[in-house]
Amino acid sequence: MKLLGADDRRDMEIHRYPLLVYALVPLAALVLQAWLPRVLGRYAFFDLPLVVTIYFALGRRSPIQGTLMGAAMGLFEDALTHHAIGVNGVAKTAVGFIAASTGIRIDVENHAIRVILNFVLSLLSSAIYYAVSRGMLGLDLEWNWFTQLFIAIGNAAIALVLFPFLDRLQIRD
Amino acid sequence: MAARGQKAIDPDGGYYTDIIRVFCFAPDSASFLAVESFFTRYRNLVVLAAVLVVQIMGLAIQVRRFGSGRNSLDVRDGSGVRLIRLWAEAVVSPFERGIHGTGQGAFWLWNNYADLRNVRQQNQQLKQTIDRLRLEQAALLEDARQGERLQALLNFQQKYIYSTLAAQVIGSSGSELSHVFYIDKGENYKLKPDMAVITGNGIVGKVRDVFPRTAQVLAINDQTSGAGVILQTTRIRGILRGDPSGRLMVVGVLSDERIQPGEAVLTAGGDLIFPRGLPVGVVDKVVPDPVHDGFIDIMVKPAAHLDRLDEVMVITSTQPRFNEQEQKDIDTSQAEKGADAQAIQNQIRDQLKASQIMAEHLPGLMVPNLPPDQQPLNDTSNPPLVTPPPQALHPDRFTPGNAPGPPGDASGTTSPVTTSPGEQQKQPKPAPAPKAPPQGNP
Repeated sequence: MKLLGADDRRDMEIHRYPLLVYALVPLAALVLQAWLPRVLGRYAFFDLPLVVTIYFALGRRSPIQGTLMGAAMGLFEDALTHHAIGVNGVAKTAVGFIAASTGIRIDVENHAIRVILNFVLSLLSSAIYYAVSRGMLGLDLEWNWFTQLFIAIGNAAIALVLFPFLDRLQIRD
Repeated sequence: MAARGQKAIDPDGGYYTDIIRVFCFAPDSASFLAVESFFTRYRNLVVLAAVLVVQIMGLAIQVRRFGSGRNSLDVRDGSGVRLIRLWAEAVVSPFERGIHGTGQGAFWLWNNYADLRNVRQQNQQLKQTIDRLRLEQAALLEDARQGERLQALLNFQQKYIYSTLAAQVIGSSGSELSHVFYIDKGENYKLKPDMAVITGNGIVGKVRDVFPRTAQVLAINDQTSGAGVILQTTRIRGILRGDPSGRLMVVGVLSDERIQPGEAVLTAGGDLIFPRGLPVGVVDKVVPDPVHDGFIDIMVKPAAHLDRLDEVMVITSTQPRFNEQEQKDIDTSQAEKGADAQAIQNQIRDQLKASQIMAEHLPGLMVPNLPPDQQPLNDTSNPPLVTPPPQALHPDRFTPGNAPGPPGDASGTTSPVTTSPGEQQKQPKPAPAPKAPPQGNP
């Protein structure tokens, strides 16, 4: 893993996308996340909004944009459940911030690093969700870490395919 | 320090385009510079903290603490929360409807083409099935009416399903921790929260929230779900809910060895949501409750395919009696199949009459007019009935009662059994003993 200095960071390319991509890709992720479990049943081990949040946070390398995008995606996901609105929001806000901050310091063009980052950040998101639900809110929530592990693996696998596809959509000078 | 509007490099490494000057400080004052420096230096962290604080405050509003010290979410969303859910649903559901409609359309086209080839034969079979079902319905009518009368006597309000509304499942929550799904009917079809949702196989869930054109249904396998259920054979009651993996389980059951896998689980009807007697599933296995000693958790295999729901029915109304449509069906059945049904009813009536006649002629152990504790079978005040010993056709000295008694017994008989005078009169007199031949005669 290559650590970058300040000069390298200055020269690093910020990924830019058409406005339509910023609007449609997160929306598609949210719609598919809501629709695919109806088709796949209990085997829907993935979190597409989280993958998209990580992708844009890593590509834009802006902690503020990563934070805001994570918050928006998380709140949207919460709104579709019957749980409290904000639990996913807090988790994905933190993940968006961490992913963007990581993208500043690490060369994230490498596919292997992206996959590992997705796996780790997915588990981190689950851990934050659990901590907020149980520790902060004191809700009576039963938890299955194996399911979260499968979701992290699923996210990493999806990132392996989705990230190169989304890279093609970026604006190149 | 960068000037206003000048591009600068964030000390943390990121880029930003403009330094936003806020607050009412004078631009050239030292305090403004200090604040500006602080927000500039920690801008990312400040934004992160602000976003997190806002969300946490929102969460704090939604969670309530109960007297027992446990926290829980409000069952009904507040107006603000509901508004957010409404917006999210309004954004997602048109796309879900589109995807669902496209898939359904393609499926419908292909299916109809394939089905048209066999539709005539299926029509004939269905007509035969309808005839048979009408006959059965007419035969069962009397039983149902009798059941109603008995329930009325017991003052028990059995809720029958009055009307249902078919709906399509168009989406889910997208979270494995929230087993809710969305159907394509809402306020426009007068759906309301807490209406039961079922399929032909069994119960599915209940309506949790209703939006203008969709409704959110809480599945029975969610952790926060709950339904009163009863085991069909053992009549053991419990509460149905889901576990973290989305499996169904009945909790709050005392350990009982009679519970065996395969036993049917039905709705108990006590939750005022699901009518009584609807199928829930079958017992899969019994496991000890990890928290409470002496209790067990009954894992249930659901009757409905909760993971692959396409069409569901919402019970929009329940009624304690036959509704108009059912009454019309019954009348139709009686009119069209009246003769057959009458024959069956006559046959049942004849059988009942024969059994009543037989019961009257047989020595009755149960008297219908007497309470259970005064039935002859349980009445201990009467002396035990004594069966007289069989009488010999040709009594002799070996016949019981004719044996010579002990010395001093003038009668020369034993009377171990006390009999009433009447019985003594009724008993046939023993024949006189044959006289002994004269002895000592030459």
